[in-house]
Amino acid sequence: MPFSLPAAASLFSPGQSGTIERFTNEQLAGKLLDIGVRPGSRLRVVRKSPFGGSWYVKIDRQCLALRKKELACIMVK
Amino acid sequence: MHNGQIKATPVVGLVGNPNSGKSSLFNVLTGLRQRIGNFPGVTVEKKAGMLRLPGLPTVELVDFPGAYSCYPTSLDERLVVQELTNPAGDLFPDAIVYVADITKLDKHLLLFTQLRDLDLPMILVLNMADLMENNGLTVDIPRLSKELGVPVLPVSSREHRGITELKTAITDLLRAPDAFRPRLPFYEPGASARDVLGELRRELPARNDYHALLLTHHAPWLKHIPEPTRHKVQTARVRHGFHSLRAQVEETMDRYNTFEPIVKSSVRHAGDTASHSDRIDNIVTHPVFGPVIFIVLMLLLFQALFAWASVPMDLIELTFGTLGETIRATLSAGWFTDLLVDGIIAGLGGVLVFVPQIAILFFFIAILEEVGYLARAAYMFDSLMQHFGLNGRSVVALISGHACAIPAIMSTRTIANWKERLLTILVTPLTSCSARIPVYVILISFAVPQVTYLNGWVGLQGLAFAGLYFLGIAGAMLSALAFKYLLRTPDRSFLMLELPDYRTPVWRNVTTTVWQKSKTFVLEAGKIILLISIVLWAASTYGPSDDMAAAEAQVMEQAGARELSEEQAADLLASERLEASYAGHLGKFIEPVIRPLGYDWKIGIALLTSFAAREVFVGTMATIYSVGSSDDEFRIRERMAEERNPVTGEPVYNRATSWSLLIFYVFAMMCMSTLAVTKRETNSWKWPIVQFTFMTVIAYVGAMVVYQLLA
Repeated sequence: MPFSLPAAASLFSPGQSGTIERFTNEQLAGKLLDIGVRPGSRLRVVRKSPFGGSWYVKIDRQCLALRKKELACIMVK
Repeated sequence: MHNGQIKATPVVGLVGNPNSGKSSLFNVLTGLRQRIGNFPGVTVEKKAGMLRLPGLPTVELVDFPGAYSCYPTSLDERLVVQELTNPAGDLFPDAIVYVADITKLDKHLLLFTQLRDLDLPMILVLNMADLMENNGLTVDIPRLSKELGVPVLPVSSREHRGITELKTAITDLLRAPDAFRPRLPFYEPGASARDVLGELRRELPARNDYHALLLTHHAPWLKHIPEPTRHKVQTARVRHGFHSLRAQVEETMDRYNTFEPIVKSSVRHAGDTASHSDRIDNIVTHPVFGPVIFIVLMLLLFQALFAWASVPMDLIELTFGTLGETIRATLSAGWFTDLLVDGIIAGLGGVLVFVPQIAILFFFIAILEEVGYLARAAYMFDSLMQHFGLNGRSVVALISGHACAIPAIMSTRTIANWKERLLTILVTPLTSCSARIPVYVILISFAVPQVTYLNGWVGLQGLAFAGLYFLGIAGAMLSALAFKYLLRTPDRSFLMLELPDYRTPVWRNVTTTVWQKSKTFVLEAGKIILLISIVLWAASTYGPSDDMAAAEAQVMEQAGARELSEEQAADLLASERLEASYAGHLGKFIEPVIRPLGYDWKIGIALLTSFAAREVFVGTMATIYSVGSSDDEFRIRERMAEERNPVTGEPVYNRATSWSLLIFYVFAMMCMSTLAVTKRETNSWKWPIVQFTFMTVIAYVGAMVVYQLLA
């Protein structure tokens, strides 16, 4: 993993992965936790959307579409 | 609460996360005996069905909307919390069938543990059990059942497995609801929540601590909480420094920690499960191929719509035409026969002729939904939609809008951000719904010559048809852009969209959707169209008696003077009578307004009637041009082609007028039902009025510009 310190997942490029450490935004955290994204989950950025702005992300075995600012609140190690 | 008494109609709630296969199971359990309505007070679609179980009164099975947790972010999810925290409500279930995807138990049990802590009698259904063998997935069912304290049943709604066992389990649970009472809650409220609960526990109409905690969280919007209680909750929350969001995160983390070991000890995964979906997504959501595939799919859809629907449509027209002629030949002539043939049968035919196209459209949309493609489309277009103030999920509404704006507008409730949702609602009716198809079909034949290229593969008329659809989409996007700058809200906007694994569609679900939607159209829209057909027949048959007499006298005189044949005289009489009728007077009254668009008073009548529902245009044309004439009602197109301007002798439906009408029908808001749905969804008269006004203004100006340029 290129990042040994926690970094926002929005800085990842497609193909990079890591383990979720914490969230930096409470409101988004509540929603992310509900859909099963939580500290300890494996996160892998798969690809960017055709028009940019959103990412195809794999969390554990689940595929999700997240916006840049949603990814930005996920700190990954 | 559960005192062993079985209610006259026990309610069983089907609850689960979105994409858990809940609706699929609902279709298996109830078949086509479903009633679709709305939950009381809100516009969330309520699907209910009857379930017959041995030795019990008929059970009402309610399909609750999919929800992730008891902390809702969308209208759909709110409804689940609203009904499940209100023991006095009609929909409070006597038992819950909780549906979880067997491959996603580590996520789908969150809501389960919350509902379990509300002390509701539950069965846990592990859906998609057909995936167990293929994916090397093993589940220790007895162990899971013991750890969770509820009956656990593996079911495959896809392959109809485990359904009998499930019915038996529901019967047993309704007979003995107390058999599986929880001994210990999964979650004990933390320190911060305990203080506020200590004060409120007695004030709140709660069955246990967790129920009280949820009421404390949600009292500000729950409908069944009386105002004074709401006020007390607010003050107590402030006094004890209760932070709802923080408490929610704390609770959710705690719950995951509790049920994760249970799942780990009873579920074994072998290998990566979704590689199949990953490979498909490499292409389908590819930055370049993805959008190309999307456009090809949409073009294919419209092509199919045109090619496939024409056969059954011709058949329906032929049947009703023959029926009308037979009745006219059998019954004696008179007003009753006229009403039956020109009003009722022509109107009925006008309704049923849409069914093939509506069915095909919903067939396609249901398949795309079932396969999992619509979520991909939302992902691909989210950022593009954001530029126009919309959400990726708006794509679903904008696609469905091509079938019918009503279900499309209702599908926007999954958009959590109010502004994005409102914009989607406002612009969706600009996409060309199936009701416009017959109008387009008739008018394009006048506006565009029948020329084909490439050995008949590409037709100019087909291109014009596709062009009208793109015009509608462009209109929708640009209007959204305008509204984006006009409206301001501070609300947060989410995407956070689940991309479910690709699966082959369950045909039962597809056919159920097609059947339900077609039925709703025939019953709901059909009523309006039929009523208007009858009113229109009356308005065009009767008129002020002086005028009608004058018209008849004039025809008699002319027929004598110009030595007209009997048939010519009859046609002249029909047209003069129409002009003298109430409908004719009304059309003449608005003629000055629509003159700049190139319309005469007959088109004016059709415009007025189709403000109720645009598909009435064709029916009106049928009525206007067939009243009093021996022509076959369904040969409207030929009849319209013969129509001449009485002053110039030019065809009325020339290129300019036809294009002007086409543009008008692309943009105009001509559907009462859509306005009613907008009113319900936005909960105010303001937005349907705004919607009606902006669409009609665009339509009027657009049609005028086109007519003036072409004429």
